[in-house]
Amino acid sequence: MLALALSGPVAGEARAGSLCAIDDRDREVCLDQSAERIAALSPGATELVYAAGAGEKVVAVVAFSDYPPEARDVPSVGSHTRMDLETLVTLNPDLVIGWMTGNPPEQLETIEALGMPVFYIEPRDFEGVSSAVERLALLADTREQGERVAAEFRDGMAALAGRYADAEPISVFYQVWDEPLMTINDEHLIGKVLTLCGGVNVFGELSRLVPRIDDESVLAADPEAILAGGMGEENRGWLTHWQQYPSLTAVERDNLYFVPPSLIQRPTPRLLEGSRLFCEQLERARAKR
Amino acid sequence: MNRLEIRELVIDVPGRRDGRALTLSVEPGQVWGVLGPNGAGKTTLLHTLAGLRGPRAGQVLIDGRPLAALGRRQVARKLGLVFQDRHDGFPATVRETALIGRHPWLSAWQMEGGEDLRLAEAALERLDVDHLAERLVSTLSGGERQRLAIATVLTQAPQIWLADEPTNHLDLHHQSAVMALLAEQAAEGRAVMMCLHDLNLAARWCDHLLLLYPDGEACWGPARDMLVPAALERLYGQRLATAEIDGAPVFVPVR
Amino acid sequence: MTTPRRLLWPPLAVLALLGLAALLLSVTLGSAALSLADVWAVARGEGSPLARTLILDLRIPRSLSAFAVGGLLAVAGALMQVLLRNPLADPYVLGLSGGASVGALAAMLAGLGGAVITGSAFAGAFLSTLLVFGLAHGTGSWTPSRLLLTGVVVAAGWGAVITLMLAISPAERLPGMLYWLMGDLSYSRSPWPPLALLLVICLLLMPLGSSLNVMARGPLQAAALGVNVRPLEWTIYVVASVLTATAVTTAGSIGFVGLVVPHMLRLVLGNDQRLILPACALAGGTLLVLADTLARTMIAPEQLPVGVITALLGVPTFLYLLYRSR
Repeated sequence: MLALALSGPVAGEARAGSLCAIDDRDREVCLDQSAERIAALSPGATELVYAAGAGEKVVAVVAFSDYPPEARDVPSVGSHTRMDLETLVTLNPDLVIGWMTGNPPEQLETIEALGMPVFYIEPRDFEGVSSAVERLALLADTREQGERVAAEFRDGMAALAGRYADAEPISVFYQVWDEPLMTINDEHLIGKVLTLCGGVNVFGELSRLVPRIDDESVLAADPEAILAGGMGEENRGWLTHWQQYPSLTAVERDNLYFVPPSLIQRPTPRLLEGSRLFCEQLERARAKR
Repeated sequence: MNRLEIRELVIDVPGRRDGRALTLSVEPGQVWGVLGPNGAGKTTLLHTLAGLRGPRAGQVLIDGRPLAALGRRQVARKLGLVFQDRHDGFPATVRETALIGRHPWLSAWQMEGGEDLRLAEAALERLDVDHLAERLVSTLSGGERQRLAIATVLTQAPQIWLADEPTNHLDLHHQSAVMALLAEQAAEGRAVMMCLHDLNLAARWCDHLLLLYPDGEACWGPARDMLVPAALERLYGQRLATAEIDGAPVFVPVR
Repeated sequence: MTTPRRLLWPPLAVLALLGLAALLLSVTLGSAALSLADVWAVARGEGSPLARTLILDLRIPRSLSAFAVGGLLAVAGALMQVLLRNPLADPYVLGLSGGASVGALAAMLAGLGGAVITGSAFAGAFLSTLLVFGLAHGTGSWTPSRLLLTGVVVAAGWGAVITLMLAISPAERLPGMLYWLMGDLSYSRSPWPPLALLLVICLLLMPLGSSLNVMARGPLQAAALGVNVRPLEWTIYVVASVLTATAVTTAGSIGFVGLVVPHMLRLVLGNDQRLILPACALAGGTLLVLADTLARTMIAPEQLPVGVITALLGVPTFLYLLYRSR
């Protein structure tokens, strides 16, 4: 177990042989040597660590860490809301990637109290994603791969932004869940993708990050396009629900699009792929005007 | 001094206007009977005397000290009440139930000692329920439970006995035994007051009587003064024929 | 209720031994395999760092919490059963866990954390206590049936508020909220507060127990035997509330322990509360330690909330007890 050091805010500077980075709680985490045994306490964190090139160093994941496929073979410490701390301790990680809003604070405190360094990741925007990859790569000493992946992501998102900067706005409803009916606002990462693609989220102004709405409000907003995830990667069943309202513009013009949830709902480099899909779908919708 | 004094006491019978204020004294050695039809307030009176209910007016004094000024434990060491109704709590044996009578004498941290057990055993034996000592109370007959209730108060060993219909459910043999026990308590210098349904038992065993009328009227005094047929007929709303047997009056209801 | 002092010790000693055995078992078992030799080594101050961490930092605090919470709930349940003269009462029947949960969930909704949640839970439990006693007051005394009915209604009210809070809460807060309703020792921190409370309350069980024995005869009979009934009822309720609120704030609403343990003990040991109350403390603790050990090892590394285990075990046990007592 290596010591956790809390000090000044300079990020990414190697000080006297140690690797330091600032996490998303604005705490500086310094390791005396590169992380060799990494525990990722959320499926998103697992993806980010692999993207940073440190996949071989992952020794512990949580349930539902299904990407990349190699992660399925890594020992699990159970649900991210109720982790098996004994198994975690036994796996002896030298760096733990924590999820502030997903992991229970009591268990995170216990992990810290036991002396394991915890690095909190919580990307809220596109830069947060690429920065997360870079910082993880620094701590794991896989900077070359990490910076390459981060650069790819940045460039890709920038290209999308440039391409759709002048696109005609198109009203969109993105469905996160069907029962209860949930969507996202403009602050949410997915909302930001929508905006990037020139979409106008009909529920973007709502104050909650993940508002619960009803069919009526969707009918009242009458979006031009409806994008939905689903229960699994293949499920497109949610979209058929809207077909019972033929008066909806999106239904009239057949602008019902499915986006595999894992491409858009995790703050990882795959978000680029999901964003591309989003933008293409919105472009197709624009073409049907 | 084991005296129960009642001063200007007006008992609280819900729904009835104030009755007559009672002023009397149950002296050591006396056996008082409280007579009256159902609803006259006999149980209410006894509960008021034991401090379980408040009166509408007046005072109860034990050994010259007002009941209201005494702590419950102090009262319980002096005064014991045989209830008319009991309900089963959690299952308990006969012996355990009798032993509860020692509660006023034990401090919070004390457990029952040899003396307490001996008193309980003696009481059970006296009331002829010692052969049932290990039985659960819920398996007893009405009469056996009644005798157990009396045994519990005997275990409590108060100086003032209040008994609410102590002969309920008892067969003739045990009725006499219980009345003899109460008379013995009085003879040993204690004060006894009991509510009785049975006029003839009262006539035979009580030396003082308190008559409670359903309208709140009351009169009291030595038994021979109270056992006036006219008054009793008015009390029970029933014509009575009187006779004398073995030196005591006997009353029989007639048409 | 005739239990001469010398007869108190054997059953209590047996239960204490069982408790120690359960603690030892729970410290030895876990998702990481340790042997008795490892445990013994740590006890001697040696042992590998991993074993030391597992035992001293993870298992012992959690097991002690489990013991304390189980003991608190069982004693609270026994107290409620005597207070209400009803063998079906449990610590939550008068709305205590509902009030505590509402307090905690409200704090969570407001985004507050840690000590505020605990304090809020306590406040909720006491508010519930006052509410039930205040509403049940009416004319005359608080009869058990009136208290029970009022408590059931208040508990239902809290349930409605909880449902509302769950409905409007942001999705990421839900797991934390559900823990309060399911009962879970995964998030317990220091075991010392509930353990200290359990020890303190054990000192009071003797005097409480003797008064309760008399109370079980009925309030009038108890008063006639020297018990100050109303203050005692208040005291029992407050004590039960403190015990329950502490248990709930440590581990959420764990069910069945407070209902089944006093019942089982009464079947075996009789009705002397001076024996039953301490026996509940020991047996409740033992049971919850075993249940929690099961909860964290049954499908490891998946962790189950202990409330699931107590419910799964509690229902058939309770049915069996009902059958036995016919």
